[in-house]
Amino acid sequence: MLFGGVGLAVAGTLFAISFWLTWQLLDYEELGDYLLRLGFAWLFLTFLSFVAFSAVVSALSTFFLSEDLRLLLSAPVPSARLFHSRFARTVGQSAWMVVAFLLPVLLGVGLARCAPPAYYVLSVASVVPFVVVPTAMGAVVTLGLVSVFPARRARDVLMLMGLLFAIAIVMLLRFIRPERLLSVQNLPDVTAFFATLQSPVTPFLPSFWAGESLFTALRGGVDLLHLGSLWTTALALTVLARAAYGRHYFAAWSKAQEARKARFTRLSFLEPVVRRLPVPPARAALLVKDLKVFLRDTTQWSQLLLLLALALVYVYNFRVLDLDRLPYMSGVVKNAYAFVNLAMAAFVTSAVAVRFVFPAVSAEGAAFWIVRTAPVRMSSFLWSKLWTGLVPILLLAEALTIVSNHLLGVAPFMKVLGAGAIAFMALALVGLACGMGARHPRFAAENVTQVAGSYGGVAFMVLAVLYIVGMVALLAWPASQYLWHEYRHLPLAPRLRLLMALSIGAAASLSLVTFWRAMSGGVRALQDLE
Amino acid sequence: MIRLEGLAKTFGSFKAVDGVDLDVAPGEIHGFLGPNGAGKTTTIRMIAGLLKPTAGRVTIDGHDLAREPEAAKSALGFIPDRPFLYEKLTAAEFLRFHGGLYGLEGEPVEARARELLELFELLGWKDELVESFSHGMKQRLVMCSAFLHRPKAVVVDEPMVGLDPRGARLIKQVFRVMARKGVAILMSTHTLEVAEEMCDRISIILGGRIIARGTVQELQALAGTDDPQLTPVFLKLTGGSGLQEIDL
Repeated sequence: MLFGGVGLAVAGTLFAISFWLTWQLLDYEELGDYLLRLGFAWLFLTFLSFVAFSAVVSALSTFFLSEDLRLLLSAPVPSARLFHSRFARTVGQSAWMVVAFLLPVLLGVGLARCAPPAYYVLSVASVVPFVVVPTAMGAVVTLGLVSVFPARRARDVLMLMGLLFAIAIVMLLRFIRPERLLSVQNLPDVTAFFATLQSPVTPFLPSFWAGESLFTALRGGVDLLHLGSLWTTALALTVLARAAYGRHYFAAWSKAQEARKARFTRLSFLEPVVRRLPVPPARAALLVKDLKVFLRDTTQWSQLLLLLALALVYVYNFRVLDLDRLPYMSGVVKNAYAFVNLAMAAFVTSAVAVRFVFPAVSAEGAAFWIVRTAPVRMSSFLWSKLWTGLVPILLLAEALTIVSNHLLGVAPFMKVLGAGAIAFMALALVGLACGMGARHPRFAAENVTQVAGSYGGVAFMVLAVLYIVGMVALLAWPASQYLWHEYRHLPLAPRLRLLMALSIGAAASLSLVTFWRAMSGGVRALQDLE
Repeated sequence: MIRLEGLAKTFGSFKAVDGVDLDVAPGEIHGFLGPNGAGKTTTIRMIAGLLKPTAGRVTIDGHDLAREPEAAKSALGFIPDRPFLYEKLTAAEFLRFHGGLYGLEGEPVEARARELLELFELLGWKDELVESFSHGMKQRLVMCSAFLHRPKAVVVDEPMVGLDPRGARLIKQVFRVMARKGVAILMSTHTLEVAEEMCDRISIILGGRIIARGTVQELQALAGTDDPQLTPVFLKLTGGSGLQEIDL
C-alpha cells in the first residue's frame, strides 16, 4: 500500500510536470514545437540506452540464470516457444519502468496539447516496438557475452558498468550546472546549450522514430514512415534474435552452468590489521568476515562508488552556491543554510545507513545459524555490526558537514555545533538502522536492495526523518539565540545560557536514547529469534 | 553430557515437542529417530540454541543452555541438515572465522584446521571460495567446523544427506573415533541402517514424545519382534507400514 501510494504520487508528479511544461511551451509556437520534438528525442534516446542495458542484465537472468530453466529445458518444450516466452519476460522486466514513466508523461503532453484520441492509440503503437528493439539487441548481446564469459561473472561486470554509467550521468548533469540557465546574464549560453543538446539526435535511431511518430500524432497526423520503421525493425530484430538463440542458445546455456573456480581478492592484509585492534577474538573474527564478504560481493561494494559520486556532488553544490548575491543577508542565510546542511548531511547518513547498515543482520542469510550456535552473545554480534557501519559513516558524515560548512563560510560556532551534532546524529542513525535491521530481518532476501526497501527499511527511514526534524528543532533555537546575540554584540544572560545548554543537552539525550533503545531492542529481537 | 529434562516446544496450539527427557553419556553415539514431523529437528534446534524451549531444560557438559549459553555452546558442536555457509569465504577463512567465534586464534587454530581439512579431504580446496563447493563438500566443511574447537558433545541432524558413499564411510569413522575419545554424539537420522550400525542407544520420538529407548536389541524386545533389522522394529513402534512411508 505504501509503495503503491509512493508510485501513484510519482506518476502524478510526472503527469503534472509534463502537463505544465507542455502548456508553457504552447506560448512559444514554433520554438515550443521545436523544444517538444527535442524533448521527445532526448526522452526516447535516454530510454533507448536504459532499456538496452536493462535488457542485457534481464536476459542474463531469464535466459541463463533462472532456476526454472533446468526443468523447462528437460521438458519437451520447443526451442522457439521457450524463446518467445523468455523474450516476452525479458521485454517486461527491462521495459516496465520505462513504460511506467512514459505513461503519465505522454498522457500529460497529450492532454496539454488537446491531442486527438488517435494520439493515445499511436502512443501505444510506438512505445511497444520501441521497447522491443533494444530488448532484442540486448538479448543478442547477452548471448554473445555468455558464450565468452561465465554467466555470473558477466552479470558482475555488467552491474559495475551500469553503475559507472549512472554515476557518469549524475556527475555530468550536475557539472553542466543547469541552474545557470535561469540566470539572465547567461542568455547567450542558452542557445549554445540547445545546440549541444541537439547534436546526438540522429534520424537513424529508434528513439528518433518514436519521437517523430508521437509528435506527428499530437498534431493529428500519422507518421507511417517512422512508425513503419519502428515495427519492421522490431520484428526483424526479434526474428534475428530468435535465429541466433535457436542456433547458439543451448551451447551458451550449458557453458553458463559450468562451475569454474571463482577469482576473488584474497584481502589477506585484513587479518593482521584486525588482530592488532584491542578487541576479543570473536569480535575480530566477525569484523574480518563482514569486511571480506562485503568487499568480495560486487553488488555490495560497487554501491560505494555511487556513494562517493553523491558525496562529491553534495559538496560541489555548496561550492557553486552563490550566496554572496544577497550582500545584506548572506551572513544570516549562510548560517540558516548550515542547518539545512546539517539536516541534509543527516539525511544522507540515514540513506547510507538504510543501504549498508540496516541490511547487515539480514546479510547473514541462512548462514546465521553459525553465529547463533556459537558461544557469542547477540549483543557482541550486533555491536560488531554497529562498529563496522559506524566508523565509515561517521567519517563520511563529518567530512560532508565540515567541508560544506567551510565552503559556505559559516560562523565558527556553527561549525563546531554542526560537527558535534552530526557525530551524535550519525551515532543515533547508525544505531537505529542496526537495531531496526535486527528487529526486521529478511534472511531469505536475494539481495540487500530488497532488504533496504522492505517494511522495516521504510519504517527506519520514517523514524530517521522524524529524529532529524527533532534534532534540528532542538539545535536551531540555541544556535539562533547565540548568533542573534553575537550579531548585536549583546552578552548572553546566564538563564538563557542555561536554557541553551538544556536544549543542546536534550538533543544529545534524544540521540543517545534513540541509539540505545534501537540497539537494545535489536539485541532482544535477536535473542528471541526463532 | 547432553541432558534434556522435560523439554517442550509449542508453536501456537501445536505441541511439536512434548516433555522430552534424554541423556547422552560421554563416548556414546545416541540415535534419534522418528517419522517426518515427529519433533526431531525441533528438539535438535533447541539443543543447538536456535529455538527457545517453551518448557524444560537443556544441559550441555553441566551448563544450563538458558542460564550459561556461552559455556554450554562452547562445549557443543552442531551439524545441521543443510550446510548453509558464508559463500564468499574460503574454506580456510571460514574455519579461522569459526575458531574466532570460539575464542581461538593463531597457530593452534591453523594447525587444527589443516588437520581437519585433510581428514575430510578438503585440503586441496582450502583456498577456494565456499560458493564453488558441492553440497557434499559443504557438508564436510561444516563437520570440520563442528570438530574444530574440540567439543565435548556433538549434535548432528541427518549427517549422511548429500554425501557420497566414500564421504559417508568417512563420517562414520570420524564419529566412531570421536566417541572413543569421549565425545557424546546425538545423531538424528532417517537412515536406519546407519543408526543400527553406529548407535549405542536409540531414542524414537513420535508426536513430540519419546516412545521407545534402548539398544537395537532392547527395541526389538519392546516391539515384540525378533527381526534383526531395525526398519521393521521402527515401523512397528511408530505405527507405520512400509507403504505409509512412500509418497505414492
